[in-house]
Amino acid sequence: MSEKQQTPSQLAWARRKEAASRAWKQFRVQRSGLAGLIALGVIAALAILAPVLTDSAQLDVTKVNGPSLGAPSGDYLLGTDENGRSVLLLTWWGARVSLTVGLSAALLSVVIGTVIGVLSAHFGGWVSAILMRFTDFFLVLPSLVLAIALSTVLDRGLFTIILAIGLTSWPSTARLVRAQTLSVEARPYIERARALGGGHTHVITKHVLPSVLPLVFANTTLAVASAIIAESTLSFLGLGDPTQVTWGSMLKSAASNGAVTTGAWWYLLPPGLGIVAVVLAFTLCGRALETVLNPRLRGER
Amino acid sequence: MTDLLTPGEQTEPPASTGRRSSSGTLRFVLGKLGGAVISVAFVAGLGFLLFRVLPGDPVLTMTRGRPTTPEAIAELRIRFGLDDPLWKQFLDYVGGLLTGDFGTSYAYSRPVGEMILERVGPTLLLVGTGTILAVILGMWIGIRGAWEHGSRFDRTTTSLALTLWSVPTFWLGLLLLMLTGNLFPSGGMVDPSTPKEFLPQLLDTAHHLVLPCITFVAVVYAQYQLVMRSSLLEEMGADYLNTARAKGMREDMVRRRHAVPNAMLPAITLVFLHLGLVVQGAITVETVFSWPGLGLLLYEALSYPDLPLLQGVFTVLAGSVVAMNVVADLLYRVFDPRVRAV
Amino acid sequence: MSAGRRLAGFLSALVCGGLLAAPVAVPAHAQQQQQPGPVLRVGLLQNIDSLNPFLAVFQSSTELGRLMYDFLNANAAKDNSPAPGLAEKWESSPDKLTWTYTIRSGAKWTDGTPITAKDVAFTYNLMVTNDAAATANGSFVSTFKSVTAKDERTLVIETKSPQATMLSLDVPIVPEHLWSKVSDIGKFANDQMPVVGSGPFILTEHKPDQFIRLKANKDYWRGAPKIDELQFLYFKNSDAAVQALRKGEVDLINRLTPTQYQALGSDANITLNKAPGRRFSELLINPGAATRDNVAIGDGNAALKDVRVRKAISQGIDTKALVERVLKGFGEQGKGIIPPVFSDFHWEPKGAEVNTFDPAAANKALDELGMRKGADGVRISTDGKPLKLRLYARNDRPNDVTSGEFIKQWMLDIGIAVDFTTISGNQMNEQTNTGNYDLAFSGWGTNPDPDYILSLSTCSQRPGADGKGGTTAAYMCDKTYDELYAKQLAEFDPAKRAELVKQAQARYNEVRPSLVLYYENALEAYRSDKFSGFTKQPEGNGVIREQNGVWGYYGAQPVGSSGSGGGSNTGVLIGVVIAVIVLGGIAIVVISKRRKVSSDDRE
Repeated sequence: MSEKQQTPSQLAWARRKEAASRAWKQFRVQRSGLAGLIALGVIAALAILAPVLTDSAQLDVTKVNGPSLGAPSGDYLLGTDENGRSVLLLTWWGARVSLTVGLSAALLSVVIGTVIGVLSAHFGGWVSAILMRFTDFFLVLPSLVLAIALSTVLDRGLFTIILAIGLTSWPSTARLVRAQTLSVEARPYIERARALGGGHTHVITKHVLPSVLPLVFANTTLAVASAIIAESTLSFLGLGDPTQVTWGSMLKSAASNGAVTTGAWWYLLPPGLGIVAVVLAFTLCGRALETVLNPRLRGER
Repeated sequence: MTDLLTPGEQTEPPASTGRRSSSGTLRFVLGKLGGAVISVAFVAGLGFLLFRVLPGDPVLTMTRGRPTTPEAIAELRIRFGLDDPLWKQFLDYVGGLLTGDFGTSYAYSRPVGEMILERVGPTLLLVGTGTILAVILGMWIGIRGAWEHGSRFDRTTTSLALTLWSVPTFWLGLLLLMLTGNLFPSGGMVDPSTPKEFLPQLLDTAHHLVLPCITFVAVVYAQYQLVMRSSLLEEMGADYLNTARAKGMREDMVRRRHAVPNAMLPAITLVFLHLGLVVQGAITVETVFSWPGLGLLLYEALSYPDLPLLQGVFTVLAGSVVAMNVVADLLYRVFDPRVRAV
Repeated sequence: MSAGRRLAGFLSALVCGGLLAAPVAVPAHAQQQQQPGPVLRVGLLQNIDSLNPFLAVFQSSTELGRLMYDFLNANAAKDNSPAPGLAEKWESSPDKLTWTYTIRSGAKWTDGTPITAKDVAFTYNLMVTNDAAATANGSFVSTFKSVTAKDERTLVIETKSPQATMLSLDVPIVPEHLWSKVSDIGKFANDQMPVVGSGPFILTEHKPDQFIRLKANKDYWRGAPKIDELQFLYFKNSDAAVQALRKGEVDLINRLTPTQYQALGSDANITLNKAPGRRFSELLINPGAATRDNVAIGDGNAALKDVRVRKAISQGIDTKALVERVLKGFGEQGKGIIPPVFSDFHWEPKGAEVNTFDPAAANKALDELGMRKGADGVRISTDGKPLKLRLYARNDRPNDVTSGEFIKQWMLDIGIAVDFTTISGNQMNEQTNTGNYDLAFSGWGTNPDPDYILSLSTCSQRPGADGKGGTTAAYMCDKTYDELYAKQLAEFDPAKRAELVKQAQARYNEVRPSLVLYYENALEAYRSDKFSGFTKQPEGNGVIREQNGVWGYYGAQPVGSSGSGGGSNTGVLIGVVIAVIVLGGIAIVVISKRRKVSSDDRE
């Protein structure tokens, strides 16, 4: 028995590996996707290396002594914020929190979406009907309004922001996953697996998930992009945690401390450009991935 | 928000295709309407649930910082029904909603419904103008981009759309405020000194509308462009276009008569489906430019926090998006030639 | 014409149309200059909660109420002292329970009806009898026994107990002939324009979240204001208001941040005004929260119940550094709970009463209490656990958040670990109202009369058994303090009362349920190329807006004759023309390019 199962599973792995390398080849030729990937790599590396390359003590308002809203100079390449901290350093460190929030929120939303999508497609019947009704309802709710409501209600903090974004942005993933699962389950080999006595768990984990996951991956990439924008918007509306440096909270304090009046472009531009760069990079990657992985989009034109 | 980049899923027509009879249509319409009613009820319930678990005693929030006697506090609690059990508050709330009564604002001592009505106009003006411009701009660029697939125009506009889509709305607004200097007013909708006649009011409002509108359009149009483009690209591969060409139809006629109308449909549906995104844009744009609409009202209610007002604005915003989606579904049914023509 | 081109044409027409509207709108805007008399335009950051003076509680609305209605007494612009208002003179019985006011003759409602003692009696009686009417200012009439108009000009008020605020009754007086017809005060919006009032300005238009217009009351008994119209324009984003001042869209703004204030300094047309603020900021140190019946509530750290610990914590906080670093120098170090702007009642600590920043002394004091530092530098409290305190700040108060970072660091230096969290305003109320805090930022705005702010620290202000009611500021309950409070309330000799008020503050400082951190300056700016003469309160270095009165607006007068602001309009015009040309150009390029492409297509 075990001997017999080993071979198909090895086969499956080999097939997946081959598929992955084929996907990579297709991805590689998409210049914009590749550019996005490289940009992400660089930004991620910088964010991870921030503690090594910079001195985090300079983020502590009690330890710095720069001018308030000082223009860029030799000491402060991108000027200073209202508390005399280096904007360059803040932006650099802000990337860490913004990316963490973006990734966690996207992950949360995609996990919820995938679970609901797979379950509703796999079980069908009333489970599907209820879950889809539920999904459709949340799909049309303006997610920002809901996220605002949630972050007002819950305790302030990064976790709340993550939760608020994650809990409000999953429906599109659920729909996508459901459609994909339905098409996978219609394939003959699932029928065969069922006939051979494969239970729900077997079918879902061994067959459905592996074929759905690549698409989910592409979807996550796109979800991160929206989560980062959502985070900055919530922070700007004053629903974030002001003790945490994120790009959104930087823009919030820039806006409320006279950066526009002073013409302090050095305070307003870096975090905003950071958001644009990261969101764009994720979007480009996600689109490229989708084109590779979603046969419907690739088409046979 | 992610939906815009996966147009394939979004533009899928409502599941039922195939059998079609007048009773089927009726059942479809009724089903949709029923679903909508349930959704709106769900929205109202959710609104109540969310805002009644808000921590903090609203009366203390209202009175802190000014002379108040314990008796006055007790009187306020009774006036706003805060001492009632939760289920009674819920029944009152639902009963009120059914009669169009959204309750009384804590902060303004005015009926919430009345306050919301005041703000609907400005929001519709901003969102309406913005959406129309965004749709026209997006579709036009999308159509051209698809038709000249791979051209420099196509590549430039697609990159631009993706970049603008990645821009946080409020940030763009702040930058515009900083860059335009004295060109446009810093905020508001109409200047108090403007004469009350129609024309000056209209022109002054238009003047105030420019910056908020540009901000709104810049962030929103991308989705229409991208969807129009991909939808038309899909359509362009269709056989019937070749048939038309083979019949000797000129290329731009093929485009105008056949491809564009068919591709337009998913895009138009998207306009409705993405009203949530529009609402989102309205909240941030209105906050940045002090535009006196619903988004600003929500922002104010938030900072208070004024529970009945929050509840009311939430219900109205979410409810109208739900309603528009039903409209979109029904329109799809009516206009899709593929659904119609059997 | 192809569909695409038609679309393009339509689109560019729309864009250009929107922009073309602008220059046409400008002359319309400029018409304001042709109107008779000057218009003072003021940026407003807070909206109006109600036009009904019995319900209005926002700072912005009470100020509007002061513009629209006169009061029995005014607070002098010079020094906030009681001054004649509708009452031209007054006297009280020796037991201070009966007050007789003489209402001035000649004062009129804006509909021409004379103002009489009956109007005043009506207003106060309404507040006594109608709960809704007591919403905003009910505390002023809570001890009233009877209010009667003996004749047109004589008003007699009898109180159940002596009330120190009888000459600063902060209640707008409304016309009886109109308000007696109002059936439900709690629902009355008071928006029949123009609103009949008695103040220096008449409300003529209010668009929620957009603007408020008031015209000068030419028949105002003090004399007509020197400006013809007063407009308030809403801004939700304070930087937009500052921009508007720069562009000349508004003439006067307040509530500036230090950075905004400094940024405006370079503009020759703008004059800055830095005034001592009426608000104090404090750090609450939970002294052991309890209800009115002395039942302990909340989960404050037990170590803080010892006043020596509270004082050691205070010693570890450098309030001077907070003023310099957080307020950028725009404020004063904290002392008593009454800010120095009310100089009569402000208390200056002497000698040992002064809280000097001295971490070494704080460390020593805590060591002596047996709270030794553990291996990680954190002290072990008397209960054997590490001395770890929670510190809450409101996330919408940037100064508190920044101060929190400093305090966290300073506490570490004296061996106290601080867990610093920011929470929303209502969560903060929830935490402090239930006593669930160790350290928390707070602050109060104060009035010229110190009674209210002092009353917040009396035992009886603590919550009742059900945890509700009461607005204690810091869970202070001290017998000596309560006695001093009662004495000052019954003392009508100003000098003696001021002495008692100062003693009460000294006692507060001794008990230390909170540490007063600083008094923030009020930062304002106005277009001095257009207006001058703003009367400040108090004289010399006071505020223009948010006074205990409306002297600032009342005194405003235009600079020179007229024609001011023309420059900015010309600027707008030129800018718009350029924008239209640029955008039109783009549209033309796009369209012509489109033509080229489609003709290529045809080939």
